[in-house]
Amino acid sequence: MAERLSRRAFVGRGAAVAGGAGLAALLAACGIEGTNEQSLAQLRRQADAVDHPRVEIGEWVFADWPLYMDKAIIRSFDRRFGGATKFVEEINDNNDFFGKVRQQLTAGQPTGRDLAVLSDWMAARWVRNGWVTPIDRDNVPNARHLEAGLTDPAWDPGRRFTLPYQSGAVGIGYDIRQTGRELHSLRELFNPEWKGRVTFLTEPYDAAGSVLVMQGKDATDATLDDELEAIELIGEANERGQFRRFTGNDYTTDLAKGNVALALAYSGDMVQLQSDNPNLRFAYGEEGAVLFTDNLLMPAEAAHPYAAEAMMNYLYDPEVAARLCAYVNYISPVRGIREILERDAPEIAENPLIFPPDEVRPKLQPYPSFTTREEQTMNEAMAKVTGA
Amino acid sequence: MGARIDLSRLRGGLLGLWATLVGLFLCLPVLLIVLFSFNDNRGRFNFTWQGFTLEHWKHPFADPDLAKALENSLLIALVTTAIALVLGVSLALRLVRHRFRGRGAAEFFVFLPMATPEVVMGASLLAMFLVMGFDTGFVTLVIAHTMFCVSYVVVTVRARLEGMDPFIEEAARDLGAGPLSGFRLVTLPMIAPGVAAAAVLSAALSIDDYVITSFNAGQTTTFPLFIFGATRQGVPPEVNVLATMLLLAVVALMAVNLLVQRALARRDRDRGWDEAQHARGAA
Amino acid sequence: MTAATAAPTAAPVRRARRLPTGWLLAAPALLWLVVFFAIPLANQLQVSLLSGDAEAGYTLTWSFSTYWDALSDYHAQFLRSFGYAAAATAIDLVLAFPFAYFAAFRAKRSKAILLAMVVLPFFVSYVLRTVAWQLILADHGWVVERLRDVGLVSADGRVLASAPAVIAGIAYNFLPFMILPLYVSLAKIDRRLIEAATDLYASRATAFRTVTVPLALPGIFAGSLLCFIPACGDFVNAALLGTSRQYMIGNVIQSKFVNVLDYPTAAALSFILMGAILVFIAIATRLLGTRTLTEAAV
Repeated sequence: MAERLSRRAFVGRGAAVAGGAGLAALLAACGIEGTNEQSLAQLRRQADAVDHPRVEIGEWVFADWPLYMDKAIIRSFDRRFGGATKFVEEINDNNDFFGKVRQQLTAGQPTGRDLAVLSDWMAARWVRNGWVTPIDRDNVPNARHLEAGLTDPAWDPGRRFTLPYQSGAVGIGYDIRQTGRELHSLRELFNPEWKGRVTFLTEPYDAAGSVLVMQGKDATDATLDDELEAIELIGEANERGQFRRFTGNDYTTDLAKGNVALALAYSGDMVQLQSDNPNLRFAYGEEGAVLFTDNLLMPAEAAHPYAAEAMMNYLYDPEVAARLCAYVNYISPVRGIREILERDAPEIAENPLIFPPDEVRPKLQPYPSFTTREEQTMNEAMAKVTGA
Repeated sequence: MGARIDLSRLRGGLLGLWATLVGLFLCLPVLLIVLFSFNDNRGRFNFTWQGFTLEHWKHPFADPDLAKALENSLLIALVTTAIALVLGVSLALRLVRHRFRGRGAAEFFVFLPMATPEVVMGASLLAMFLVMGFDTGFVTLVIAHTMFCVSYVVVTVRARLEGMDPFIEEAARDLGAGPLSGFRLVTLPMIAPGVAAAAVLSAALSIDDYVITSFNAGQTTTFPLFIFGATRQGVPPEVNVLATMLLLAVVALMAVNLLVQRALARRDRDRGWDEAQHARGAA
Repeated sequence: MTAATAAPTAAPVRRARRLPTGWLLAAPALLWLVVFFAIPLANQLQVSLLSGDAEAGYTLTWSFSTYWDALSDYHAQFLRSFGYAAAATAIDLVLAFPFAYFAAFRAKRSKAILLAMVVLPFFVSYVLRTVAWQLILADHGWVVERLRDVGLVSADGRVLASAPAVIAGIAYNFLPFMILPLYVSLAKIDRRLIEAATDLYASRATAFRTVTVPLALPGIFAGSLLCFIPACGDFVNAALLGTSRQYMIGNVIQSKFVNVLDYPTAAALSFILMGAILVFIAIATRLLGTRTLTEAAV
């Protein structure tokens, strides 16, 4: 009995010591790293000196969103360049993916991915903090095909660190059978006629940005205060019961099933939804539309930068870009693919959701560029409005 | 007398009706998912019935990433359940059978994972793996899943253990059974239904988990991760097809289990009959 | 008595050796939980005391005010979560008990089918399940139109995007967790006890009340815990089936952690939630726990 007690006590004490040591180690890694924004000038100096020599393309890792790539393109890339691309559809949410790799990024460790696809604001955050590998433009000559409007965003001037992958517009998706007429203005989202039959987006860049566009302001040059004012407007409308709910991508079920009359919607989705519900229409706001872009970038400490750049170059070949666009049905950032698609897939070439008409193009407004702190304030304000 | 029999049958009938309705309620979404695997959808979304087709059933594994995701989910669930059962049953036995100092604390401790928001568990576990230098992937997923499944196993098995007559086990020990054979021949058969229920629960939890998995998966995709990411572009009917196949596999397993149990019961019954005959004959 | 006299051979009766089986049984699970749950959680405790922002980083300032701020800002969501979870658990108990009773006592051939129905929904991902409910309960779908015919839903009313929808969603998700322990507990009840009660002139209702229910209490307790506890922290149902007015504390924690990157508040909210749940469990255990043990020892 006494023996058993003493052994139990010993084990107990030993466990406590071990636990304590482990705890101390964890506590020593105390605090959470900030984002330590480097100056853009410092980054550009890094970029000027970049040189990724041509090497054999073997195994390398390309992280993308599910169903966002035609696998046939990966296969033909491998065949042509003798590569063994490990294509991982592991990005299902910008924030979730960031949560996965945040600690490695802040610690300067390799993330194990050579190429990733991230939305504008997340890509901007990575560039701001130097969590990206500069692109050696010698390896990506096809980048000259990039659409004029996307060559010079405020957060990556000259596209030294990112290249657009696909774009989409934020506009009005509506059920013409319920509205009874065509809709053209973003103001319809706040029209009391549709009270309770509207859904709005939770993503503040898209939601508040669209409100700014609606007000005739420049969404790309917006300040934090502009965004906060817009969020307040959204909050007031929500209090009045204007919005049924706030959604991410799941406004699609509500629209398809006729639960709502209109929604702030993404252009790419509407292309697909029309076969579920032929009464659905998409309209670019006559005031303009927020343009969101998903970007290709190489995380810092990428092990195979040449392979990633070869893929970027391949994706900017108009023939390949046309195939990708036909598969994904979003707006391609590559110039000159419309003629190719007119030949191969005319219904896509004619689709205004995939090829915005000339009068719409100048009114497409990319995201603004904020610091991490400003972004956090904006996200917090939006979260309060959406109930979280 | 007659009235009471009628009442009993009525009660039985009503209970049966209730059970059927609840069962249907449980399975309604499942039926819809199976149905929509046959939907001839022209777009990429699968919300409205547009016609019947077997097209999606022809090449369900065509997307290698989807197939790999399902495979990963199944493997992880299998390994997790095995480990969680061993850990959980052992702990449950100890908690119920013996009074020891700190038993109350241990019981509370076991409840904690169920009470903790998944987001916190997932993120803090990831932080620890990184500090320890572990690469996230299959192994970390098994570790994470086992961690939250153990609690469910313990609670489920306890419900069966509690109130079970402990004297039977003591009797077995008195008859010379060592602790291991006592467990194997006496305890295990008695708690078998609880263990089976815990196993199924654990597997289901593991296959279905999203939040903790999303933090600790690294580059490993699982079925729920793939589906969640696919909702942005529209979940393809092939996902419904794979889900249906998984269901059929589970149903088949249960059917096999049922037949085996029936065969065993019949064998025991026959053996008992034979032995009784034998005893009578011998005497 | 018969056992002693019938000792077959001359082999000596072995006293079970005093192996440290006790610790061997409990240690692995407890160790696993300590390493992979307790230690990370302790780290989160430290995180809850940090302050700063995502740009400058967070440093340990022992700011306990985070807890107070979190509670005052989000007490509505806390109360709502507990309310929804309690409602869903109650619904589940009502739905599950007759089901488990039927499966345990009455069903002979259909038992396996019934139990299969309980478990199958899990093997279909929750995203698919919830989207399926969104389709089933669409405003102009077959189900809701019939409900309108019957008068349960008003002409311009809806089922989705409401508190009942969220509660129903939570109840649906956790129903199997209530049924399984209940079934397991009911199935082991010795029928002869009930027979004995009725032989002693108790009515079926009294026998049910005084014999069956107390013996099923461990199952009721376990099922209720398995439902209520995770339901409090649920966020999926509110996000997909509710409006901003239905958002639960799980949504707030998720948002703070993943979206707003306010780790200290997220950690503080989590600990407040866990603390509250533990208090509930303690109360429930006090009310039911010791009684179940004594009843079960009969």
